[in-house]
This record gives sequence, structure tokens and C-alpha cells, in this order.
Amino acid sequence: MTTTAPPSERTSRRAAPPRGNRTPSDRPWLSGARRRSLTGWGFLLPAALLIMVMSFIPMIQAFVLSLQTGRGANFNFADPLWSNYTRLLDDEIFKLTLQNTFIYLLIQVPIMLIVALVLASVLNSKNLKFKSFWRTAIFLPCAVSLVAYSLVFRTIFANDGFVNDLLLGLSLIDAPINWLGSPETARFVIILGLLWRWTGYNMVFYLAALQNIDHSTIEAAKVDGANALKTFWYVTVPQLKPMILLTAIMSTNGTLQLFDESWALTRGGPAYQTMSMSHYLFEVSFLKNPNFGYASALSYVILILVAILAFIQLKVGDKRD
Amino acid sequence: MISTLRAAPRYVFLTVFAIFSIFPLYFMAVSATNSSRDVLDSRMIPGDQLFENFAKLVGVQDLGSAMWNSFSVAAGTTLLALFVCSIAGYAFEIFHSKGKDFVMAVLLLAIMIPFAATMVPLFRLFAEVGLVNSLAAVIIPAISTPFLILLFRQASRSFPYEIIEAARIDGVSEFGIFAKIYLPSMRSTMAAAAVITFMTAWNNFLWPKVILVNNDFQTMPMLISNLAAGYVTDYGVLMLAVLLASLPTMVVFLILQRTFAEGITGAIK
Amino acid sequence: MHAFTKKVTMAVAVALPLTLALGACSAGGGGGGGGAGGDENTLTVWAWDPTFNINALEEAEKVYQEENPDFTLDIVETPWEDLEPKLTTLAQSSQYGELPDIFLMQNNAFQKNGINYPDLFTEIDTDAVDFSQFPEAVTAYSTVDGVNYGVPFDNGTAIQALRTDVLEEAGYTIDDFTDITWDEFITKAEDVLAKTGMPLLSGQAGSADTIMMILQSAGASLFDEDGNPTIDDNPALDEAIDIYTRLVDSGVFVEVNSWDEYLGTFVNGSVAGTINGIWIVGSIQGDEDQAGNWAVTNLPRAEGIDGATQFSANGGSSWVVSSNANVDLATDFLAKTFAGSNELYDTILPTSGAVANWIPAGESTVYAEPNEFFGGQPIFADVVAFGAEVPSNNTGAYYYEGRDAVSAAVTQIIGGADLKTALGEAQANVEFAME
Repeated sequence: MTTTAPPSERTSRRAAPPRGNRTPSDRPWLSGARRRSLTGWGFLLPAALLIMVMSFIPMIQAFVLSLQTGRGANFNFADPLWSNYTRLLDDEIFKLTLQNTFIYLLIQVPIMLIVALVLASVLNSKNLKFKSFWRTAIFLPCAVSLVAYSLVFRTIFANDGFVNDLLLGLSLIDAPINWLGSPETARFVIILGLLWRWTGYNMVFYLAALQNIDHSTIEAAKVDGANALKTFWYVTVPQLKPMILLTAIMSTNGTLQLFDESWALTRGGPAYQTMSMSHYLFEVSFLKNPNFGYASALSYVILILVAILAFIQLKVGDKRD
Repeated sequence: MISTLRAAPRYVFLTVFAIFSIFPLYFMAVSATNSSRDVLDSRMIPGDQLFENFAKLVGVQDLGSAMWNSFSVAAGTTLLALFVCSIAGYAFEIFHSKGKDFVMAVLLLAIMIPFAATMVPLFRLFAEVGLVNSLAAVIIPAISTPFLILLFRQASRSFPYEIIEAARIDGVSEFGIFAKIYLPSMRSTMAAAAVITFMTAWNNFLWPKVILVNNDFQTMPMLISNLAAGYVTDYGVLMLAVLLASLPTMVVFLILQRTFAEGITGAIK
Repeated sequence: MHAFTKKVTMAVAVALPLTLALGACSAGGGGGGGGAGGDENTLTVWAWDPTFNINALEEAEKVYQEENPDFTLDIVETPWEDLEPKLTTLAQSSQYGELPDIFLMQNNAFQKNGINYPDLFTEIDTDAVDFSQFPEAVTAYSTVDGVNYGVPFDNGTAIQALRTDVLEEAGYTIDDFTDITWDEFITKAEDVLAKTGMPLLSGQAGSADTIMMILQSAGASLFDEDGNPTIDDNPALDEAIDIYTRLVDSGVFVEVNSWDEYLGTFVNGSVAGTINGIWIVGSIQGDEDQAGNWAVTNLPRAEGIDGATQFSANGGSSWVVSSNANVDLATDFLAKTFAGSNELYDTILPTSGAVANWIPAGESTVYAEPNEFFGGQPIFADVVAFGAEVPSNNTGAYYYEGRDAVSAAVTQIIGGADLKTALGEAQANVEFAME
């Protein structure tokens, strides 16, 4: 049995509703198809409305704010209007955070998604023992609160912490590595933290998606003589595309908006070398002398970057049959 | 025999990753049983301070209230979000149109702005409706997430349309189709969505700490933040609090994992 | 109806009214909690740290209740890290009605908040509170344009705390480290390191705390009186950074990467001392086995800089009467307790180590009591005496920008960068942030 995509509304409007569907309350201009269309919109109304109010209106206010300058609560429109945005180009710290965030994005996200995919597919195989155990073990990092895991990671990667002790003990290094004190290793710790925390999260999505895959397609491939790898790549993955796209967009968004790890693991240190854009945004808004106009401009830059990448991903990956 | 050998790499891979995942948690659990000094010393074996730490914890913070608040928020958010977003995702896919694609893209845009930027306008909004310092204020912004909607939309891609058409011919209402036919077959997605939403709502920290002004409504992340904020931090107590805070999400996961990981594959047929 | 659907519908049916109910029951309580104390005799306070500040508040409540038995204090525990964004959000969205009667504020944040959000504060009535009973350096933090906005509370006076047993092993006593210069300190500390293998100091890498303390001990600041940054043309800062670099390079000062690690260094005995605000004493006592082996003295001075002293400060906070307060009650409460009650300070000192800024408090016998952990030294009386000698400094509205820029510069300098260049960059960054 093959799955088909629902026809778009234009075609269904052309088809007349079958007789059985006409009820006494039908008036000529409220045809079944038209009513269906309204129902469709009605279904998504609560969700859309909530988002409009909770996110959109504040977002627009933030945009207006990004065109203003001033400290505290005294705002005036900037002159020229875009001065907050051009100021970003001169901001050395901002450029550094931009670079850091992209490093995280380009390294961590692909690794995480691939590992999550492989894990999910391994965990989905029929003959695997102790499935519950593996699943739980890999998901557990997600359940832990941020304060905890950053404290634990900081302790483990301390100069006299477990990792250094282990590496020294195995004679892999001569002197303790200053993990959190030098930029490259500090970034590594953040990437490791992100992988640790979020792989299980994405694995959950893939596991769910794997359940929705029609098993007959896998059988058919086996009958055709494909081995596990080929089956995975040519049959399973294409059917997982919608979910892969979802997790890709979510991870991109999550990483570009990264705040928690930069704040809790390294406080953006040493000297801003691991600070993410969102962390800088928070600093400018709440920790330093508040400059909300500038902060809003920064948030829009983040938004534009995420939107561009999401758009590209949607265009590339979101094909309907 | 051969099948065992072939399966070996899988087990190795899983073991490695499982150790990687569990180890920091092991350290956390062990720390909860140690004194603050031992935690700072990176002690790796369990101690005997568990009861002392617990006594100190409940002496300093209102653990029960925070757990209850966190639970109310997380459960409330999850239930509402599941309903609102599943029906929206369903609509986006089943009633697909170019217009809906456009709306989806617009809604996705809303999630792309960092929360720190929308916090102040949102606060003002809630203040003006008089909902500051209420658990409702924590729940409402979290109910509708474009990502959750997107999740359901993507998951609906594999839902066969013929069934819907057949149901329509049978005279079932649209909502009936959604409730009676679609939802039951989406169990694995619902379970996954429930776990994720619960976890996110439970660990949510930034917004609650701004909008909740009163002791009555403290949540677990706020309690933990209090513990970590003193001049003198008792790290054993802190780790215990964190351990306790992590339990509910783990429990939810344990309950639901069969559903989303071994879900009802045959329902569609 | 399908069983599953029934469950879903029921779940929603439960969740919706629950949410609304939660909203409703808060709207009733919200007024009391979020805003100032509902009834005439209650004050709401936002503060952090149960063992320290909140303990002090509870004791203050008891003291005030002696004269006013109907009085109650509603304390909401709020970490400073969360309190500041909250204040900023409230102020930025003009929701001053959500403020409590009183809140605690870090001394360094007063200028910034006072200048940007004056509407958060109520001027403290100088008839009710006698500010001459507090060290000038401390009240200066919470004074904006000549107006007092804070009642100083917890003392941030800096101390030099050292392990006497380690010193003894190397042939020194605490007196050898009293009233000395930094040059002398480095020489002696290197000697101690060579003889015992123990460094005397530690701190977080990338934190400018130590340097700021040295700076303040010389009466210098990162900003001048007009609020302009004076980072790149500041001999006192150059000297402070130079001292710091020499400390780190010689191994006498161990840099670690997090606050917990820093505490671990002296609690676990890998470092034999520390220089920080008096409030560090609580953490030093984290290892009971070290009792009796510690002593406290004043800081080394930065010789060669005009105005160098042996005294400095780090941290400390003050009480604010908010703009949404029951002003009379709040002011009277603060005046009769934190600005007027020996009994209060005597009670909280032994229980939480909370040292007063209020000068008359230091005169009491409790303060003069010998402290066992510190070898019988009456450290608190000593500290209050130190406190009176601390030079004031200019924080300015951009204090945190300045401090963070200097921290970043120091990290680079330790890593080998040229001092002038790094400070020049720091100055530029701060000027940029001030645009």
C-alpha cells in the first residue's frame, strides 16, 4: 500500500462533493469543499493565534526598538535609522561571537544528527537486546538541568579533574590540558557538551519517525537483495526526510540561538572566545549597561541568519511527492 | 554465531555512547551522596551524606512546592501543546495549500528570534493583562511552538490520504476524522512530542524567573538557581537537588519510550 | 468514542480549566506577591543567599518586632543573577507596580541602575538613616548625584587570609605579611612556594577581581569622575596588572577556570591562602580540619603609586527602598535594624559571618570575640577597622563593561600579549560600548 500526499485544496475544490456528504444544513455557497477549507484554517487557528500574540507582536516591537538608540528607558529613533545595525559591523566582540556560533553550528550539528540517526536506526532493529536500557541511557542527558550538567562538565574538565587524570594516567599527555582556559579546547568542551546533551533529543524524533515507516518497503528491499547499509541509505533515509529536515532546522535554530552552554559552561570565556551571539545579546541587554536598541538589532541579525539557513534547508529538503 | 558477531559492532557502538551519556550523570548521582568538600575534590565514589544533604535541602528550600509547580507547568503545557499543535500540524498537511505553506513559513519565523529580545515586550503584555506572577503566564507562551506544529506536519506526511477520503464519504466530520482516525495512529509522534514538550517545559528557566515574582510559584530550576547563588554553596546539596529535578522527566521518558520507539506500526493498515 | 480520543479529550478538559484556575488563583495572590506587601505591617523583600542575607533579614524582622509586634517580612529568595534581569525587565516595561518594598543590590550595580532606571528607587531619608555611621567609600557606591539610594549592608572589605601552618613551615608568621608591599609579598611567597610547594593565592582566570582590588587599594578606578574610561592611561592599572602577571608567572598565584575550582583550591588545601572580600571566610571554613590554621591580615600595598594603601574591597551590597514601597515603614525598618541595631549585628555575626558596614556595630563585644578557626584572632573587629580605611573608587554606569574589558585584556597579557596594546584595545572596546 503506498502513501499518497493529500491533494492541494485547489484540486479538491474542483471535485464536487459526493452526494452522501450533503446534509440538510448545506447551503449552496457553503459547499463541502469550502467548508472543509474553513475547517482546515480553523484547526490551525488557536496555534497560529498564540504564536502571533506571544511571538510576533513582541518581535515587531523588537524591530522598532532596533531602530532606536538610548539607554535605560529613554529612546529616540536613531539617526540614521540603521545605525544599530552598522554599529554591529564595528563591534569586535560581536564578530567574535558570530565566528564562535558558526564554528559550533558547522561542527556540532552534522555530527550530532548523523550520530542520532545511526543510533535510532540501530535501536530500531528487531533483534537488539536491552533496547529500553540503551534508549534510556542515551536520552538521560536531556533530562538533566543545565546548572547540573555545566557544573559536572566543569568539574570533569578542570585542570585537576577526571579527564586530565585519565589522560595522564594513560600516558596520552604529559601535562594537564587547560581545557577551559584556552579557546580551542574550551570550544571543544562546549561542542562535546552539546553533543552529549542533544543527541538523545534528536534520537527521539528519529525513533518516532522510524515507526511510521512502512515496513513493506524494507521487506521489498531485502527481497531485492539489498544489504543493511544499502537498505538504510536508499530506502529508510528517504522516508525519513521530513523528520531529518525538521531536526536540521531545529538544530540550526537551536545552535544559532545557543545561550545556555555558553553561559553555564564557560561564561563565554576565556575572553569572549566561546561566547555565542545569544549570550552576547543577553549581556548587552541585562548584564551590562542596557542598550536594548542595539540588542534588538543583534537579535534581528540572528533571526535573519537562522531564516536564511532554514529557507535553504526547506528548499533543498522539503519536496512533496 | 555469525549473527552475534555481526551484531557486535552495534553493541560496542551503543556501549560507548551509553557510557559517554551516563558518566556525567553517575558523577552527579555520586556527588549527591557526598559532602560539599568531596564534590569539589571530584570524588568518584558514593559517600554517606545522602540523608544529610536531603535534610539540608528541605531545610533551606521548599522542595515540595517547587516540584509541584514545575509539575503543573510541565504537565499543563504538554497536554495543551499536544492538542493545539497536533491539530494545527494535521491541518497544515491534510488541508495543504500554498497559502498554508506561506503561513507555516511565517510562523517558523517567530521562533527564530532569540527569546532575550522578546522578553521585555512579552512581560509588558502579561503585566497589562494582570497575569504577572501566575503559572498560567508560564504555560501560555509555551503552548504553541512552530516546531511542534512542524513535527506533526512532517509526521502527517506518511499518513495515507485515502483513509481520510473514505471517512469523509462515510460522513464523518473533520474533527471526528482528526480525533478518531488520525490521533490514534499518531501515537508514536504524540509520545515523542509529549516527552520533548515536558522536558522543555520542566527545564524552562529564563522566562519563569522573570515572570514569577513570588515564593509561591517557584519552580525547580529556580530552586536550583537559588542553591547555586549563595556566597557559600553546598555542592552536595546542589547535586541532590539537581538529581531530584531530573527525575520527573526521566519518569515521563520511561513511561512513554515504548510508545514512540516501538509504536504501533500496523495502525495505518 | 475511541478510547484514546476520550483520553485526549479528557486530558484537555482537565488542562484547560487547570491553566485558567492557575491564572485566576494567581491574580488574587499576584497583587500581594508581586507588588509591595499587601497590608500595612508587611514588607516584601527580594534578596539572595539563605545563610547570609536572608538569615540577616529574618533576624532583623525579630528585632523590629520587639517594637512592632504586628510586623512581618515576606522574603522572596532571588539570586542576584536573576534579580538584575528582573529589575531591568520591570523597569524597561515600566511595570514598577511589581516591585517589592525592599530589594538588595550589589554595590557595583548602583550607578548603572541609578542612572538608567532612576524610577526603581526611592531616595533614602537622611533624617531617618545616619549615613555618617557608614564608611564613606561604601555609601559612595549607592550615591547618585549626591542622593543616597542604598543602605549599605554586607561588607565587602578585602582581607588577606593565609594558612599559618604553611607559613610556619617556611619560617614566616602572619606579621611578615602585614603592612608590606607587593614586591615584598612576591619575594616571600616565592620562598614559601620553594620551601613548601604551596602557592599562596588562587583565582579565576579571566576574572579581574584581584586586579580590581589592587587598583582600588591605590584609590584608583577604571573611570574618572565624569564617567570616562581611564583604562589605557592608568599607571595604577598598569602596576596592578604587572603585579598580577608576576604573581602568576612565579607560580605563587594559581589560575583556575571556575568559581567552584577556586573554592576547591583552598578548601582542599592545594593553595595556602587567598585575597578576597571578607565574605570568603564562609567558604574558607569549608574544611573543618584546617581549623586553627588560618589568620587574617591586611593587603599588600602597591608601592610606587600615589595613594597606595593596605586596604581594598570586593563586592558588598546595599538595601534599596523601591519606588513601589511603603516608604515610611521600609525606611523605619531599615533605620532601626541595619542602620541602628547592635543587637542585630551581634546576632548575625556568629551565625552567618555577616560583617557589618555599620561602624558602631564593630564596637560591640561580639565583634571582638576571638575566632577559633582563625587561631583566636578577632577577625571581624579587625575587618571593620580595615573597612574604615578603604579608599573609594568610581564605578560609573559602565562598570561591568570596564571590568570585563580589563579581564579580557589580562587574559591576553597572561597569554603573552603586550600590555599597552591589550589595554588600548580594552579602552576602545569600552568606548565602543558606551556609544
